[in-house]
Amino acid sequence: MDERKLHAMRREPRPEFARELHERLRRQGPAVAPARALTPRLGWSLAGGLAVALAVLCFTVPAVRVSAQAFLDLFRVRNFAAVSVDPARLEQLRAQKLDPGSLLAGGRPEVLEEPGPPRAVGSIAEASAAAGLAVRVPGRMPAGLTADTITVLGAGAVRFAVDGARLQALLETLEVRDLTVPAGLGGRPITVRTSPTVRQSFVAERRHVELVQGRSPEVELPAGLDLAQIGEIGLRVAGLDPGEARRFARSIDWHTTLVMPVPLDAASFTEVTVHGQRGLLVRSAAPAGDRDGRRRGPGRLLLWSEGDVVFALGGDLEEVDMVEMAESLR
Amino acid sequence: MAIESAVIGRLVGWLTPADEADWDALYAEQLPRVYNFFRYRVGDGPEAEDLTSATFEKAWRARHRYRRDLGAFSTWLMTIARNVANDSYRRARVRSHAPLEAAEGVAAGPTPEDLAVQRSDCERLSRLLGELPDRERELLALKYGAGLTNRAIARLTGLTPTNVGTILHRTIRDLRADW
Repeated sequence: MDERKLHAMRREPRPEFARELHERLRRQGPAVAPARALTPRLGWSLAGGLAVALAVLCFTVPAVRVSAQAFLDLFRVRNFAAVSVDPARLEQLRAQKLDPGSLLAGGRPEVLEEPGPPRAVGSIAEASAAAGLAVRVPGRMPAGLTADTITVLGAGAVRFAVDGARLQALLETLEVRDLTVPAGLGGRPITVRTSPTVRQSFVAERRHVELVQGRSPEVELPAGLDLAQIGEIGLRVAGLDPGEARRFARSIDWHTTLVMPVPLDAASFTEVTVHGQRGLLVRSAAPAGDRDGRRRGPGRLLLWSEGDVVFALGGDLEEVDMVEMAESLR
Repeated sequence: MAIESAVIGRLVGWLTPADEADWDALYAEQLPRVYNFFRYRVGDGPEAEDLTSATFEKAWRARHRYRRDLGAFSTWLMTIARNVANDSYRRARVRSHAPLEAAEGVAAGPTPEDLAVQRSDCERLSRLLGELPDRERELLALKYGAGLTNRAIARLTGLTPTNVGTILHRTIRDLRADW
């Protein structure tokens, strides 16, 4: 008898039970979930930004008919870049109910592999084994933080195609008339594969920090694309002016760089170095109250990658503590 | 599964807005934790599901009172779960413990022999858990059922992390001796 036997007795709830309870809760009132570490405003803003970043990603589809299986191009996150965008554009996108799903042929992606719900584990060793990853932990815990929980999310995969006509209509709606969606864009398969990820939570009396790590998502794209051209469309959708979008699109490597549009009024960003790698630190523009009016420190998000592993550290730490915590990973 | 959650949302999950999708994610994340806490606490069977339901219904009704600045959501939820368990114990001080059933699909591709061994281990462990004092069994349930760290358990129970570690170590040693 050892700890493994104790861990092994866990079991997932019956799906019928989980579903019935979920539905019963729903019938009792609208969901107002507890938000996580960052302020609601930043959360909304960055979530919108992420959606746009994904829209940029969605646009990287072939303009020419090629054998997708024979000539695959690949996107992996190695770098992060941020662009400031006008919050009015994000509002406009929200008003248009734009999300990546609305631009997909068929309206939704095809799920090839379902990651299932996050699974709580009892130790870093267990998380490493479950994720197939040497999970790293902070060697320094600032601000009285202590380790709280560890969860692992399984691998997943989806396949989708962009609806070229809807994208063109969106450009028209946004009055982007100098760019044309490449002919033959629609219907080409794009496959996104995500590896297992591990999330560690750290808490103190008034703080909550989370560290997520996992191998980079991979996006299989049919080859032959001018990614800079497609990226330019995405940047214009995000609200950049024509000249800026063109310059930016031509200056980065779209095969390895994840672009995060950051709303001017909600957040600022700066480049930092973590373990010699260039990272991106996004900071909410000002302290903000939560939904109950209590004030919290500004939220911060630090993104960086090392080798094929992507790290994200988020919470309401001071910037220096955030970077030191990231630097202390071992 | 939305594209966003497939690609980036999982890396920066805390950025999702406090809307229904967020609650759904929390529900999916926390349900196994709470459910297994009760399985280890009271055994398998309908009671574990009943107590899990009671916990989530209480949390749902009290969701406006959750203060995220005072701690993690999981800690708040497990506080409710402990209270639900204690209420249940007060109502029925003597109870029969339903056996834990062998976990299905824990290991990839278990053979029938593996499953038989697992089932046998589960039954033995369930019997031994049923013989533990309440405090020791609760700590095991929090540690191995809910997957909490010793520090998180300490915050919930008022014990020190050292005490939690010591009690767990001693309890596992006793279980091993009785195995």
